[in-house]
Amino acid sequence: MALFPLTSNFEGDFVLQLVAVDTENTMDEVASAAAHHSVNRRVADRPGYGLRVRRQGSKDLIPRTMKVSESGLKPMECIEVIWEAPAAAR
Amino acid sequence: MATLERMDWYDIARTTNWTPKYVQEDELFPPELSGTMGIPLEKWESYDEPFKQTYPEYVKVQREKDAGAYSVKAALERAKIYENADPGWRSVLKAHYGAIARQEYQASQAEARMARFGKAPGQRNMATLGMMDEIRHGQIQLFFPHEHVSKDRQFDWAHKAMDTNEWAAIAARHMFDDIFAARNATEIGLMLTFAFETGFTNMQFLGLAADAAEAGDWTFSSLISSIQTDESRHAQIGGPLIPILVANGRKAEAQKLIDIALWRSWKLFSVLTGPMMDYYTPLEHRKQSFKEFMQEWIVTQFERSLLDLGLEKPWYWDHLLDEIDWQHHGMHLGVWFWRPTVWWDPAAGVSPEERAWLEEKYPGWNATWGKCWDVITENVVEGRMEQTYPETLPVVCNMCQLPVNATPGPAWRVRDVPHMHNGRVYHFCSEGCKWVFEQEPSRYQGHLSLVDRFLAGMIQPMDLGGALTYMGLAPGEIGDDAHKYAWADAARAEHLKKAS
Repeated sequence: MALFPLTSNFEGDFVLQLVAVDTENTMDEVASAAAHHSVNRRVADRPGYGLRVRRQGSKDLIPRTMKVSESGLKPMECIEVIWEAPAAAR
Repeated sequence: MATLERMDWYDIARTTNWTPKYVQEDELFPPELSGTMGIPLEKWESYDEPFKQTYPEYVKVQREKDAGAYSVKAALERAKIYENADPGWRSVLKAHYGAIARQEYQASQAEARMARFGKAPGQRNMATLGMMDEIRHGQIQLFFPHEHVSKDRQFDWAHKAMDTNEWAAIAARHMFDDIFAARNATEIGLMLTFAFETGFTNMQFLGLAADAAEAGDWTFSSLISSIQTDESRHAQIGGPLIPILVANGRKAEAQKLIDIALWRSWKLFSVLTGPMMDYYTPLEHRKQSFKEFMQEWIVTQFERSLLDLGLEKPWYWDHLLDEIDWQHHGMHLGVWFWRPTVWWDPAAGVSPEERAWLEEKYPGWNATWGKCWDVITENVVEGRMEQTYPETLPVVCNMCQLPVNATPGPAWRVRDVPHMHNGRVYHFCSEGCKWVFEQEPSRYQGHLSLVDRFLAGMIQPMDLGGALTYMGLAPGEIGDDAHKYAWADAARAEHLKKAS
């Protein structure tokens, strides 16, 4: 359990933001923390869509239940938080 | 007694190089202060300044300029121009004075360094006058806003900004320290006068003077026109250095210094001048869009000047042309969204009429930047004001110190440009800023951005209140929407019509 800063690049938003998470958080929780600072502030919500996390520049999504401490992410590394269409999110 | 015409004696009078007898040349002109790159003294004597002025001429002209600007101010003090000005225009004044006034003093020291350590006699003469110009610019741009301090504390930031850790002040200091405060006489000539002032003179002083006149602010218009005529003279100090450097095998060095300064200047224009021209200046008073101004006065002019002087276009030219389309929209949105962290009240500038203008000038604006403003507008209309404020910090670039941002919406293209150096990961907004770092890492590596300082625990408590205290922003100074959200009235009326 330790605070862990990440750089959030949220799909559809215009700016990179600092997001503080915990090493025990899952990727779903990381996505939710990032969404808090973008969705309904500058990015319209997309009901039914899910959110997924990937490293900047990678096409591979990090598993939703993987913890930050297991992901290999570095402090302040830039993650892309992207919308996942309803069919894929199920 | 008949006196000689200026050009009959000017060259002799300013040919003040001599062969030192009691000290070595490098003691008289230490290379680290002169920046002479091994080029001997006599080679610098071919320096030929395009704008020649003598000291008596200078004093006479400057006296008239000062008398003009101060008398316009005195005559209009009771005309309530300030009180009747559009709030967006008042924000232009506050942002301008805070970012610029104190840096003018700093520039006078840089000019003084050229006046003493430049190896070219003509450069020393021009810089002596330039040094006095900059002292005048510091004084006049502190005196003029002082009139408004009793009415509006944000004007106190004309004097205060550079002594704070406010983020825009950090960005301005980082950039100005880099391109002139911590540079030698040759570097100052190329970076401050040639790269920065040629552009900035045109952008901030010519463009804004036109907007000020349109807005009826004759005091500000006469002030900055008065300054602009000085700038257009001393901005010519750097140009004549270039042929000397090129002829003596130092073209690559000259090119690099100019490329660094021009890129860094661009970033400052994008956050300071861009929002002023395209969002703060009332729609009916806008002369040109920021993009049109950049293309006409910066891009075209620089390209021509560089090629004429024997240099090349910077390697990042295509990146710059691309950024002119969008970078300042992001800087504006960032400044507005984080508005409590600035010393002026940002004007959103997104009423339906203003959005139509933005769409006309920047086709696709509504489908990109407009998407973010749609969400903000809906929150304002619905009274969800807490959603219109931030709860975290933007990640800022480790070079320009400005938020890392780019085009949003379906065309989303935001990205971090990370760079590992000596075990530390630096975050940059662009290949340009990363490239500047790579040219001299030891120069930049120790600096901590606002986000670095936050993560190092230097900002306490770690929330917005702690950040505002760290930035020196007191109640009554922190920014809010310039027009009290009146730009959303049309959307509100539309919303009510639909509901009824």
